[in-house]
Amino acid sequence: MSNDFGTWQIVHIPDKEPHELHQQPTENVVCSVIDPKRANQIVRRLNQIAPLENHRHVKRIHKKILEGGKIQLSVILCLASEGDNQLDSLPPYIHEMISSYQLSPFIAKVCKYAATSKEEWQEQCKFWPTSYHPLTYKIDGITGFNEEDSKSVFKFMQSAIELASSDGLVVNAAVIVDPSAKQIISNARDQVFAWSTCEVDSDIDSSCIKKPGLFNSRSISTGFAPRESFHLNGSSNQLKQPFTSVSCLYPWQWAEQQSQSQSSYYCHPLRHAAIVAIESSAARDRRLFPSEGNIEERCLEFDHEKSWPSAPAKKQKTTCANVEDYDKLNSHSCTSDQPFERPYLCTGYDIYLVWEPCTMCAMALVHQRIRRIFYAFPNPNAGALGSVHRLQGEKSLNHHYAVFRVLVPEEGQHTLRKCYTEVAETEEINIC
Amino acid sequence: MSSPETITFMESAIKQATLALDALEVPVGVEFVVASCVIVEDGNVIASGRNRTTETRNATRHAEMEAIDVLLEQWQKNGLSMSEIAEKFSNCSLYVTCEPCIMCASALSILGIKEVFYGCPNDKFGGCGSILSLHLSNTMPLNNGVSPGKGFKSTGGIMAPEAILLLRTFYEQGNPNAPKPHRPLARQA
Repeated sequence: MSNDFGTWQIVHIPDKEPHELHQQPTENVVCSVIDPKRANQIVRRLNQIAPLENHRHVKRIHKKILEGGKIQLSVILCLASEGDNQLDSLPPYIHEMISSYQLSPFIAKVCKYAATSKEEWQEQCKFWPTSYHPLTYKIDGITGFNEEDSKSVFKFMQSAIELASSDGLVVNAAVIVDPSAKQIISNARDQVFAWSTCEVDSDIDSSCIKKPGLFNSRSISTGFAPRESFHLNGSSNQLKQPFTSVSCLYPWQWAEQQSQSQSSYYCHPLRHAAIVAIESSAARDRRLFPSEGNIEERCLEFDHEKSWPSAPAKKQKTTCANVEDYDKLNSHSCTSDQPFERPYLCTGYDIYLVWEPCTMCAMALVHQRIRRIFYAFPNPNAGALGSVHRLQGEKSLNHHYAVFRVLVPEEGQHTLRKCYTEVAETEEINIC
Repeated sequence: MSSPETITFMESAIKQATLALDALEVPVGVEFVVASCVIVEDGNVIASGRNRTTETRNATRHAEMEAIDVLLEQWQKNGLSMSEIAEKFSNCSLYVTCEPCIMCASALSILGIKEVFYGCPNDKFGGCGSILSLHLSNTMPLNNGVSPGKGFKSTGGIMAPEAILLLRTFYEQGNPNAPKPHRPLARQA
């Protein structure tokens, strides 16, 4: 496995669709040209009486160099009111400013929202200068990605990609991770065409693996979809193949599949990788914490959750550091000072998916309270994290996760191909 | 106006939820709306379901998913092929106390169900018009020839007062499993 993730990248997928580069929404402001000598005084006064509270990205002053090198400064007095006669309905304190500095107000346009990229920012400054701060991902208590965090993200994504292609047939794969302990909670491949009801319980064991990359994948030879090798177009980071076995990409195609010859395996059109991974994590929860949990225990958890944004990693690490395996946990030989706390559903957990989830899966992850979603490839057919819908931006939902895309470069392709070939060769040997 | 048949099936759906309440299993997930449902084929109830989110600790186990699983297993045991199952679903109607959420509405579209009747709307998660309109899937094939989602007919407001009453019963009871209760738990008198 390659440990060099030099050209891998994490890209935040925002809650709102980015605006067309040349169609930045604007709004009107009341401005005036001012005497540069009095600029400091005027701006200080304006920041007191008419601060641009929700427009911190907009600069108060616009500097223009006129012909002959003369500098002209314009200042925003205030936001323009709605309606036709915007200059006639100014608040009294602005009128006061206008008369005391002999200003001549005019209407100008500024960009309504902060730029999300350098390109947007350059476009915005054509109207009126704005400031641009690249995202540091400090949203909803989510800390930024330092080198160690990034490496961990890449490793888990690589695990998901390996799992997706571990059976020759490329399907979607999901890996649920507790980031504070860097531990895999559960993982799953799509099981739309190969699901055995009797395997649900034994799944719990195989799906909880301490180290990424050691997947106990069940070898179910499905044999009705064409084999597809993982091929990545490194430069554009788009996949060329249709990958018709990926459930989230083609959720409606299950009905067109031929029946499975092995009678012990059921088909289930809704058993997409994320749904199966959620099921496994719930089964793990029931297994690790068999008691229903009374209200007093719950209260402890409330306190823990309250303190979570301020001191997340340390507290979690002390509780999880000694958790090596289930046997230890179950026999209460955990030597930690604090009792092991049961998470509420998947609160605090991340999920890695090779493809952007469909609407069903994305909403399932809202229900199960996943904290962050990482996916490698977009899903233009049915993706619900930006492609077709954007659930992370649906304000009415009771939970919001942060969404990131992991860009997998050509080096990743090499690993994938090697992995694919190895799997294919092993299978051939088995067949012989 | 709802037909007598619609009322009858909605009554059986609501009965599922009351059964759950009586059994003291809060028929509701993570501060989620009460839902229970029946699936009807040719005028007969062929499956029913209610939330099992609390006991399974799996917040995706909504009533609809439970009822769907019953049918999928049963039909395959009876030897039906995938295309026969698809045909079956296209003749089924779902009666559910509350508007299906975004996840369930997507699932119903994936399965290609014929029609959905629901009680009260779900203004936080509803996938049949409240937040997203997944029942109105477009009929044009996508540019790459992929078959798009199948829409289904959706009718809300069937016996809504009864459905809301169920909700209220739940809210008064409170959900002891929610992490930060938005509503205080009902105090023991």
